[in-house]
Amino acid sequence: MGLVEIATGKVLSSFSVFLFLTVLLLVVARRISTCILLFSVQSAIIAAEVFATGFQERLAEAYVVGALVFVIKVVAIPRAFFLLVDRLKTSRDVKASTTPTQSVFIAVAMIYLSYAAVHSYGQAVHVPEDALAAAVALILTGAFLMVSRRKALMQMLGLLVLENGIFLAALTTTFGMPDLTGDFCAR
Amino acid sequence: MKIAINLLQALILILGAPLLRGIIGRIKAWIQRRQGASIWSPYADLVKLFRKEDLVPPSASWVFRFAPRVLFGTAVCVAAFVPVVQPSALLASRGDFFLLAYLLALGRFFLSLGGMDGGSALGGMGASREALISSLAEAPFLLGLVAVAILAGHADIAGMVAWTLRQNIFNISAVHILAFTSLAMVVIAETGRMPVDNPTTHLELTMIHEAMVLEYSGPSLALVESASAIKFHTMVALLIALFAPWGMATSVSVWSIAAALLLYFLKAAVLMGLLAVVESGVAKLRMYLVPDFLGVASAVSALAVIFTMLAKR
Repeated sequence: MGLVEIATGKVLSSFSVFLFLTVLLLVVARRISTCILLFSVQSAIIAAEVFATGFQERLAEAYVVGALVFVIKVVAIPRAFFLLVDRLKTSRDVKASTTPTQSVFIAVAMIYLSYAAVHSYGQAVHVPEDALAAAVALILTGAFLMVSRRKALMQMLGLLVLENGIFLAALTTTFGMPDLTGDFCAR
Repeated sequence: MKIAINLLQALILILGAPLLRGIIGRIKAWIQRRQGASIWSPYADLVKLFRKEDLVPPSASWVFRFAPRVLFGTAVCVAAFVPVVQPSALLASRGDFFLLAYLLALGRFFLSLGGMDGGSALGGMGASREALISSLAEAPFLLGLVAVAILAGHADIAGMVAWTLRQNIFNISAVHILAFTSLAMVVIAETGRMPVDNPTTHLELTMIHEAMVLEYSGPSLALVESASAIKFHTMVALLIALFAPWGMATSVSVWSIAAALLLYFLKAAVLMGLLAVVESGVAKLRMYLVPDFLGVASAVSALAVIFTMLAKR
């Protein structure tokens, strides 16, 4: 049992770093298939975060949400993307309008910006600053991917990354899911 | 006693360096389903080269003979900075990681000079590429080390290692992950490993390190080869010491030193296995993409430094 608790604590305290790493890799990746894989990894990290939150807050419904995130975002959406890439037969390049070095420095600037933006809010509402900053960074990177990549597939992927960020922000600020199931049970 | 162990550490780094090359070659051969050479063959190569004649191109000046000696000297010096079995080193002093970085730079500078002095077109080409890569790799290397130094609150490598040793293995922070990522990328670029440079060929137009040493032969080539092996081993030992020092001897006794030594070899073997898998799995980067590779390393190390500030807040 101790091992599970340690693992939970580790996931909660370090998942934001791994999200930042996926963000940095996403903006430097040159091939669409690499980006899809990275999105899958990113979603897997978020699913792990959902499970860890569920374990810590003793929320059974969080496991359902985590499983849904895993099935849809880690397996189904990337699979659909790979099918699309196969069927469209376009070039594999992401057609970036910034060089990878420029992109990665922009990404670093956005990560710093998200920390700066979140700092005062995080202290006021007592939410973990790392997690909220990671969420804001995901939103910013998603938007950046959408405006700086000319491939339609990449714009879709950018939107999904942005959506991951919104999901993560909701998760960290509300400590779990919107309490729908609780309402249903009360009725 | 402590000095004796420090001396032992430097000797391990210097004498074990060819073995590390042999092991990585063997693992790569195994992955590629070849039989592969013995892991001791790099030693045999060095002995063979030392016995051969030192041929110098007629157009070369004294710099050509001088450069490998300087390179070897700096590599041996650098080996004395890195802890292996206990958190101290022979030449440890405050701020020694700056000295380490610039000793490496000095060696590279002389090797580039030697490459150009040989007079062949490939030597000059390799030297210019080496200069490009090393100048780009220096910033992430120093920033990565500085991030760990700020976090540990020590300005010497031995102090940083001792601090990390006292931390819980589960308390690895964001700074460590980011600094490790950037330093690992720098080590790959600096030591001419696979995505940046192919260490096993003399026949590619895109070679970097091998192009510089093309004109060397005999004992000079042996010095260059052993210097780059020592540099590689030292960098690997630095990574292990900074990011996975657990198991190092904290007390001076024969058993703890022996255990630390064994653990060090295990960690190095694991790292070599990882490197061999990466090297067999990825294709070499195009020359023009190498600055991007190092740009990513710079950004990650800059982020590591930013995170030290956030962690302190």
